Amino acid sequence: MNSGRAHKVTPPSWSRYVHLTRHAFRMEFRKKNGLAGLILFAICAVYTCYQVAGSRADAETWNALAWVVLLFSAFNAVSKPWPEDAPEMRSYLIHVLHPREWILARMTFFAMLLSGITCIVFVAFTLFMGSEDLSTGRALWFFCGMQATSIAMASLLAMIQTLAIRANGGFGLIAVLGLPLIIPVILIATQYGMDVLNGVSFADTAHNLLFLATLSGGFGALGYILFPYLWRD
Amino acid sequence: MGHNIWKIGGFALIAYVFVMVFTVPMGPGLLELSNTGNATTQVDSDRPLPEYFLTGFGTHWSSQPDQLQVIVRSKTNLSKLEVIEVIDDTHARIGVSLPYSLPSKSWDVLINHPIDGTLLLENGLFLSDRFIDESLTLPAISIVEFEAKLPFHFPYQPRILETIRNLMLHVPMWFTMFVLMGIAFVASIKQLATARNLAEDEKSEAAVKVGLLFGFLGLITGSFWARFTWGAWWVDDPQLNGALVTVLVYSGYMVLRNSLDNAPLRARLSAVYNLFAFIILIILLMVLPRFTESLHPGKGGNPGFNSYDLDSALRAAFYPAVIGWIFIGIWMYRINLRFTRLQKLLTWTHCSQF
Repeated sequence: MNSGRAHKVTPPSWSRYVHLTRHAFRMEFRKKNGLAGLILFAICAVYTCYQVAGSRADAETWNALAWVVLLFSAFNAVSKPWPEDAPEMRSYLIHVLHPREWILARMTFFAMLLSGITCIVFVAFTLFMGSEDLSTGRALWFFCGMQATSIAMASLLAMIQTLAIRANGGFGLIAVLGLPLIIPVILIATQYGMDVLNGVSFADTAHNLLFLATLSGGFGALGYILFPYLWRD
Repeated sequence: MGHNIWKIGGFALIAYVFVMVFTVPMGPGLLELSNTGNATTQVDSDRPLPEYFLTGFGTHWSSQPDQLQVIVRSKTNLSKLEVIEVIDDTHARIGVSLPYSLPSKSWDVLINHPIDGTLLLENGLFLSDRFIDESLTLPAISIVEFEAKLPFHFPYQPRILETIRNLMLHVPMWFTMFVLMGIAFVASIKQLATARNLAEDEKSEAAVKVGLLFGFLGLITGSFWARFTWGAWWVDDPQLNGALVTVLVYSGYMVLRNSLDNAPLRARLSAVYNLFAFIILIILLMVLPRFTESLHPGKGGNPGFNSYDLDSALRAAFYPAVIGWIFIGIWMYRINLRFTRLQKLLTWTHCSQF
């Protein structure tokens, strides 16, 4: 063991980052019940919406419910603490990992996981709630918007999850800290979704996707810069 | 004086602003020109003259009633209406002596008076029962223009009326919150950079506490204003939602602080969250409202206020109000900070006795 100071670890390396991301996925797929729980939550949420609003929901309700389901599925996905977040595990990892590799791996993992969940939510949603307002091309644009939103949420929530775990708070603290911060993303996303459903031409609403990309870039950069301060003791 | 500058300067400026707010009168304006349904017969014509009721706000018509001129305008066409009777300072009966064939349905109403000067009511007169031919031109008329002879006054704004005085309360609250959250932001960056002692952490906590107070006050004063001008205590509007969410984000900061006992860890975690919170404040209050439709004044570019809504009288009260409230905010922040430090010192002394 070297001097025991976190920043004495070698600078972030690409191979360790790839390894960590693959490790995260391997751990996720090894315990299948966690993943199954997430998928089940998403489908149950969609089905609840279907029971509440019925299959003939108007465009505004359709849009609102789609984003709310996506939001709650995302919060559900990040609410589970990782084994690596246990204090004794962290005090070991501090010596072998650079924290920035760790946050990048976490963001990538969450972005991919949320992308997958978004696919499930979208398919289930169009299946149950109908897609009268969406032609094939528009459905594609709506799906792209959902993917951009899930990436923006992943880049913020990876950070908030660590923050809440370090503060010994559970799901409640993630919600209290994360929900207000995620509201700009949801505002832009709902506006984009409404534009797509109302038949606004893509060129006139594409700036919303640009906003989402900027927000995910900004959150990602902040997380990348600030994560070492969270992780250290 | 030294450190007392914030207290003395702030209270002096706010005292001056409150004197202004409660003593400066409102300027005159026009409320409405409404159809009474009555008509008087004209001497030289067989058609009756429709009678309208003109309501002013803070005008002085009864002092020189014979000098009152009522003019309607549509593009370049001007025409004079007849003043049948001036009832009192703010009410008059007007005869709409316009021909049956007109170039436009909708007319601006202009009032000329030696004391009030020229007042404008945009689209104040709407005539639906006339023959409209846009190629018509009305004969030119001669108008005597008057210079207003009014004391120092706040400008008349339609729908806002006397509540324009709230400008000196509502807007500076948000400016002060911005300044305090800015102080907290800088302190958080310093806290992360130094991480040796917790002095910067105490600063950011004190600043956020006082900033939150000003945020709540801004919401409350804004709510009163919304009730008067828009008719509801809260309306769905990007600027209002942004303000509320900002307050929620900073409340989350306080929750995070309270859920942590380990002081150095609390300092680091809350500093990290505070950086996120400030970025979100900038996005929600300064960036997003520029791209969305909003009822709030000054939208479509500037989320604050339109510079052309401010005249010299408002500036004379508004700028001191902004500086004064910011001074008071900083004074409260410094008291809060000193209180926290003393509390910590006292706890330490107390503990050391055992």
